[in-house]
Amino acid sequence: MTDKEPVIRVENLCKKFGPFTALNGVNLAIQAGEVHALLGDNGAGKSTLIKILSGVLQPTDGTIFVDGVPTNFRSPRDASAAGIGTVYQDLALSQLSSVTRNFFLGREITIGSGPFGVMKIKEMDRITHDEMQKIGIDISDPTQSVGTMSGGQRQTLAIARAIYFGARVLILDEPTSALGQKQQMEVLKTIRRVRGLGNIAIILITHNEIHSQLVADRYTFLSLGEVIGTGAKDELESRDIRRLMAGGADIADLAEELAKV
Amino acid sequence: MSEASGVATSAAQRTESDRLVKHGRIRALLHRPEIGAFAGMAFILIFLAIVAGNVVYNPLGIKNNHGIISQLGIISIGACLLMIAGEFDLSIGSMIGFSGMCMALMLKWGLPFGLGEATPMAAFFITLALTLTIGWLIGTIVVRSGLSSFIVTLGFLFVLRGSTEVGFRTFNQGSTQISGLPDFKQTDWFAYLFGGDAFKWVFDLLFSFGWNVNRSGDQWVPGLDAKVGWWIIIALAAYFVLSRTKLGNWIYATGDNKEAARANGVPVNQVKIGLFMFTAFCATIFAASQVFDTNTADAAKGNLKELEAIAAAVVGGAILTGGFGTVVGVIFGAVIFGLVQNSVFYISWIDGSYYRVFLGSVLLVAAFTNENIRKRITGGI
Repeated sequence: MTDKEPVIRVENLCKKFGPFTALNGVNLAIQAGEVHALLGDNGAGKSTLIKILSGVLQPTDGTIFVDGVPTNFRSPRDASAAGIGTVYQDLALSQLSSVTRNFFLGREITIGSGPFGVMKIKEMDRITHDEMQKIGIDISDPTQSVGTMSGGQRQTLAIARAIYFGARVLILDEPTSALGQKQQMEVLKTIRRVRGLGNIAIILITHNEIHSQLVADRYTFLSLGEVIGTGAKDELESRDIRRLMAGGADIADLAEELAKV
Repeated sequence: MSEASGVATSAAQRTESDRLVKHGRIRALLHRPEIGAFAGMAFILIFLAIVAGNVVYNPLGIKNNHGIISQLGIISIGACLLMIAGEFDLSIGSMIGFSGMCMALMLKWGLPFGLGEATPMAAFFITLALTLTIGWLIGTIVVRSGLSSFIVTLGFLFVLRGSTEVGFRTFNQGSTQISGLPDFKQTDWFAYLFGGDAFKWVFDLLFSFGWNVNRSGDQWVPGLDAKVGWWIIIALAAYFVLSRTKLGNWIYATGDNKEAARANGVPVNQVKIGLFMFTAFCATIFAASQVFDTNTADAAKGNLKELEAIAAAVVGGAILTGGFGTVVGVIFGAVIFGLVQNSVFYISWIDGSYYRVFLGSVLLVAAFTNENIRKRITGGI
């Protein structure tokens, strides 16, 4: 562990749904400028953990520290005010509206306040273009509708929007899962560029071991609601990663199991 | 700085954004969603000029056409904005009948609770307060219950129409119509705003050029109906709000992806409730221009108008699932339907009922076209 204070640290996080224990004492530290891959099988507790971090759920026990200060997120609004931006799989975009209108949806730059404030469309177009270019996509026409963009470009739009509006921690929920090979690479490049900005921490939830090895600096493995392994990239062998992702089972074990069928 | 060969770089430098071909201005204009409605309107205008130009485009014909078009235009703008936000209002027609009744009853029998004579202004604003409240109620029921607005407003279609008939019978000595109200537009400036003339100067100018002349040599038509002015004002305001303001962005987002809009902090419910109030406002303006123009009201006024308004919005490019549509398109849609509705009466060899055949056919063609446009946009890559 580095001695820098993590942007987000969780200690002994527990979440119970009635008799079911979703998370059982999870510890995690997220550093700025790092990609932290959160790996684990279905049902390991990944989504519960990110829902707590983004303020959707409240923990049963344990503490979240933001910049070392213990913090309570009562709602998603609290979390985004603390600089945590979550990019969900459905991305929260309007397909028929333009890129700019999506980028600024709900936070339009206007002359005059209130709903009848007049949008400064030129300025909004320019910012949208510049912010997306910063993380690698040059959209020639910010007035094109989001429906005409590729899945990878849409991810970039959602990420650029979160960063522009103050996210210091980006939670990416399986950003590559629904995409084709080439677009997956686009998204990984985007993640790289965001990491290159240096001041933003990324929590990457993924099922894909190869993708996590390509971009992650640090790994945390969850299984049945507990952390079963954590470490920096250079401390872990890809064989370990594969074993831990499967919840501790070796790939050789899996092959053996398959052979029995 | 690498100096790769030309072929290799051109392939390597091709990016995703290059796949969306940029076209010139004319091409962009042809791809606008309103182009179909515009072509339809142009066709109708030319067709009428050929078969009945002398009656459709004489001063009286122009006045009458504009009257019908602007009436439909006013309510179809309300219907269009609501449709963009993903909801329907089937109660517009009944709301017209209801607000016409309220105004006429007050003008004839005085203010409620024996508060004395009603001025046109008082009658209008009391009615408006009532209809806006009903619009608010409809919107609140829709967003709170999560029921389809189709059902909720269908309920209000019946409730309001029935209330209108009951109201007439109760307060108007059993009769469901009022006629022969004093001609307020001659004496009261407020009534003149709704029932008087607009664009008189244009018709004065035409007269001075020797065109707008009747058989006895005097000026024939004084001007257009005042409702044409209202249509233009409402259309300009709606255009501005939709394309330029924050609220416009919220309306599109609400209809397109409600959850996304909500996640980004858009007050989705308030937007919808506000638009239900706006359609009630449009229906009230429609009724006021009718009452103060003809000095009559009856319980059947506005019947089926909600469907014509929705049809005009669809022809103008709005899609039923929301998120798409423009004010310019709905203006073209209103012109198409208003013009045809009025003109079939001029052309003796066309049975007037062909208007409905026409309306239905155009509606279907427009709906297919809109669906293709939507697929082209969302199908994307």
